[in-house]
Amino acid sequence: MIAALLVFAYGVAVAWWLPTLLTPLTRSGAGARLGMIAWLTAMASALVSVGVALALLIRSAVTGWSRLAEVVCREVSGGACTPVVYRSALYELGLGLAALLATLTAITLTWRYGRRLQQARRRTRAHAEAARITGRHLPADTSGMVVLDASQLAAYCVPGRPGTIVVTSGALAILEPAQLGAVLAHERAHLAGRHHLLVALTRGLAAVFPAVPLFTRGPVEVARLAEMRADDAAALRAGRRPLIEALLAMGTGAAVPVPVAALAAAGYAVAARVQRLLEPPHRASRTRHALALICVLLVLPVVSALVFALASSS
Amino acid sequence: MRGFGDLETVIMHRVWDHPSPVTVRELFDELRRERAIAYTTVMSTMDNLHRKGWLDRVKEGKAYRYAATASREEYSARLMREALAGGGNTEAVLNHFVAQMDGDDSEVLRSVVRRLAAEPAEPGESR
Repeated sequence: MIAALLVFAYGVAVAWWLPTLLTPLTRSGAGARLGMIAWLTAMASALVSVGVALALLIRSAVTGWSRLAEVVCREVSGGACTPVVYRSALYELGLGLAALLATLTAITLTWRYGRRLQQARRRTRAHAEAARITGRHLPADTSGMVVLDASQLAAYCVPGRPGTIVVTSGALAILEPAQLGAVLAHERAHLAGRHHLLVALTRGLAAVFPAVPLFTRGPVEVARLAEMRADDAAALRAGRRPLIEALLAMGTGAAVPVPVAALAAAGYAVAARVQRLLEPPHRASRTRHALALICVLLVLPVVSALVFALASSS
Repeated sequence: MRGFGDLETVIMHRVWDHPSPVTVRELFDELRRERAIAYTTVMSTMDNLHRKGWLDRVKEGKAYRYAATASREEYSARLMREALAGGGNTEAVLNHFVAQMDGDDSEVLRSVVRRLAAEPAEPGESR
């Protein structure tokens, strides 16, 4: 019982406290991949802790029941039912109920999570199919791009086999060829990095645990870092300048030649991405953040293992 | 599988381009002029599209006449609505190039662009 509570408390601490540590470390997007791994590891360790706590609770309930049965048998065959037996029976009953409730809750949450993932998957497939059938395929295009006739500015990718990149005719009209290349490189990086999987898995957790900071903050941060990963890949393949221009054009809805100069408007998603591309974080701060994240990544499993070992031996 | 999906696209676009409902035979005759294709392939593809809700059909004599359940524009609008609604937990998982911004966000970005555009461009940087 104590062991289960200890592990559960550890999981709760990770879920509530770790976001305040990780958010500033992954803010700048330096080492975006490391940042993603850190967030995913944190979420995994919180989940594993809750699972281990549940297992320990069930174990202590089961052993409690068998011990109780033994005591009852001895007392009843001795012909007496002492207050000790009553108290013990009450305690074991409570423990058994708690274990039952916790198990039912875990099953419900897991089922809900699975159903959400399934629904999202079904909708994603339907969307990909509809886009492929409705959209136009440019004759010269080899990237699997589909053009939708719509005035809105949008470019996105839909996972699947094969993945589909959708660009609206509105977006196509304001993007220069080099900028379109950057957009496609960005979307291809999403598909290649299987970012949709991370987005779907973490977004589902946010729905199942709506009040837990790690699971509400985590998906947002993972998605943000995935954008930065894709930006890095696109900048490498298509050039930094066309990518920045494409971001500004798609963000403002106007085709504008923008001189590469300082851009001080952090705090907004697109502006922050442009800022980051214009002025990559300094090497010193990059290294510092990377080291701090690696520490988190090394410390977290070790602490988890220690807590689990301590709990199961108590 | 890829080719099969492509055929669905080709057939839907043909049906949309037709002013009135078409039979499998009519579409087959059109397609045969451009590619080697079997009548049964066209028929089963159109049957699939009917099953999936893309095509309506009405029996006329021994054959069916097929028409699209919604126009291309309606499908585009529907897709855009779904793509731009975004963020729900059970919604399609789409990775946008630029996240949907509210009015304030794009105003900030616009003012940045205005300021940058006002500054003299670096040599060789302007288009």
